[in-house]
Amino acid sequence: MAERPHYTEIDHTADVGVELRARDLVSAFERTAACMFDLICPLDGVGSGWSRRLTVEGRPGDLEHLMIRWLSELLYTSTSEEVLLSRFKIEELNVEGRGVGGGSHIVALVHGERIDAGRHAVRVEIKAPTYHSLRVEETPEGWLVRVIFDT
Amino acid sequence: MPSGSRGESKSRSTSRGDLTEVADCVWEIARSGGMRVPGRVYADEKLLPQILSDKGIEQVVNVAHLPGVVRYSLAMPDIHWGYGFPIGGVAATDPSEGGVVSPGGVGYDINCGVRLVASTMRRENIEGRIPELVNALFRDVPCGLGSSGAIGRLSQRDVRDVMADGARWAVMRGYGTETDLDHTEEDGCLSSADPSTVGKRAIERGRSQVGTLGSGNHFMELGFVDEVYDEARAAAFGLERGHVTLMIHSGSRGLGYQVCDDYLDVMQNAVPKYGIDLPDRQLACAPIESPEGKRYLSAMACAANYAWANRQVMMVLAKRSIAGVMKATEEELGLRLVYDVCHNIAKMERHRVGDREKLLCIHRKGATRAFPGDHDDVPDCYRSAGQPVLIPGDMGTHSFVSAGTHTALDETFGSCCHGAGRVMSRTKARKAARGRNLADELRRMGVYVTAKGKATLAEEMPSAYKNVSDVVDVMDRTGIARKVVRLKPLGVVKG
Repeated sequence: MAERPHYTEIDHTADVGVELRARDLVSAFERTAACMFDLICPLDGVGSGWSRRLTVEGRPGDLEHLMIRWLSELLYTSTSEEVLLSRFKIEELNVEGRGVGGGSHIVALVHGERIDAGRHAVRVEIKAPTYHSLRVEETPEGWLVRVIFDT
Repeated sequence: MPSGSRGESKSRSTSRGDLTEVADCVWEIARSGGMRVPGRVYADEKLLPQILSDKGIEQVVNVAHLPGVVRYSLAMPDIHWGYGFPIGGVAATDPSEGGVVSPGGVGYDINCGVRLVASTMRRENIEGRIPELVNALFRDVPCGLGSSGAIGRLSQRDVRDVMADGARWAVMRGYGTETDLDHTEEDGCLSSADPSTVGKRAIERGRSQVGTLGSGNHFMELGFVDEVYDEARAAAFGLERGHVTLMIHSGSRGLGYQVCDDYLDVMQNAVPKYGIDLPDRQLACAPIESPEGKRYLSAMACAANYAWANRQVMMVLAKRSIAGVMKATEEELGLRLVYDVCHNIAKMERHRVGDREKLLCIHRKGATRAFPGDHDDVPDCYRSAGQPVLIPGDMGTHSFVSAGTHTALDETFGSCCHGAGRVMSRTKARKAARGRNLADELRRMGVYVTAKGKATLAEEMPSAYKNVSDVVDVMDRTGIARKVVRLKPLGVVKG
């Protein structure tokens, strides 16, 4: 079973959001992914026997776009493969536009487990991550990420 | 390393002092900064403090920045903080004035909506059988996260047909009748749908979800008519005091989410391309007449049609389920569709602006169409009464049926509220529900609830919502939608 990440839930009226800090950009992306899936189903109840390597592309120099593409790709993978994801290892992260087609990109190995309605305590369905109040920002204390999800 | 913080809203916060009451229960936010039109909020003194407690009003202001927005950025009394548009938001944009269409003004659950089924069963006829009925509905209509398999997996070609034909697709396959189509907004199909504008991923996600409820705030609710406010209109809608009803709330499922997601991405490029300046990136949009805008509207129509087919199939499965438990035919039970409305949509409609009639793009994000009876788009059977407006409340109290009016056409582009509107965040609701048995509490209130997820029940607890009666009363008092009947829930299936 995976470990649950640390994050603060944002008090949004209709939806759910998270705010988290990370020491570097790679861990900011990895941890945001972990937070999103922890909202769906606490990660300490999700295994990691299933895995897949994913490539995500975004606009050059646009961290917010890359973050939304990354989270959307993970949600799509989760629903189309009927898996809950629990571990996220980013192998390549480029935001400056040196990726395929001149955009930013991520290559990651993600792990998870097939959804089992009897065993997984699914808390909420996340439809999508949104740009509303989105922050992917370097601060003196490290990276700050804030995402509000449509639920 | 670039630090991209452009998603952070540039909008200003609003307070009571920014609102001026211009008519009974109508509050105006004057134009300022980049606002192209004023904002208007429908609320009474009781609802206003709740409305001001989150960022909903700020979002009304943000929507007023959209290019080509006409007259006002509107908010219904169930307004609350969404993402991009407020929930309960209405905005009309004019294609001839460079007006835009914004996927964020529709939302991820395209054509999320409600349908109401009436019956000739009296409440006494199902006394003591509510758990049996609710459990049968729970068994026969798939619900919960990623629910699938109501009618078997469709081919990609079938999904394209669903997207092109909407509710008719279901009727042609034996799920319901022609009358059902007549009793559905737009006859259950937007003709502007073009399946070639929908991506492979969306189609793939649509293959197994026709006829499924989903999760979150979606539900099926067995109830009865417990109060009639307008006998003539109630009779026209076929709603009689004491008779049993079934309400279904669902949308376009994963297919719709994917269409929204795909086109928000398209719009991210369209915003700089067309030189649009926005206070919130989630409002990303493109001119209605641009290739991006046209393609989005065609794809959105596909998802809307999918949602109508979904609710049509769900209704038929639910009717069969009820008939099975009651050991009677659907005809004997008098099960018939009153109406089906969508409350997350952007539609091209003709409206009067000043002394001219114009074709406008009406965004309804958590708002319901509320046309008067003599409007061409209202079926003949509701000519005298007006279009039925379905307003679900929370699962513990009531739901309402109102009727559309000319005032709505004049003031709100024929739009009305869509529900109670949340007042408590999902996080707070979960905390408030800790250590409580909500299913038991609801049972003591006379409502038998079955939910797929425990958390869903907590998040959707009655106190998480505004009092739906207050919301509906504002619409009645302002003449936007006339209150017709109140429904009391008896049993609820939650996703």
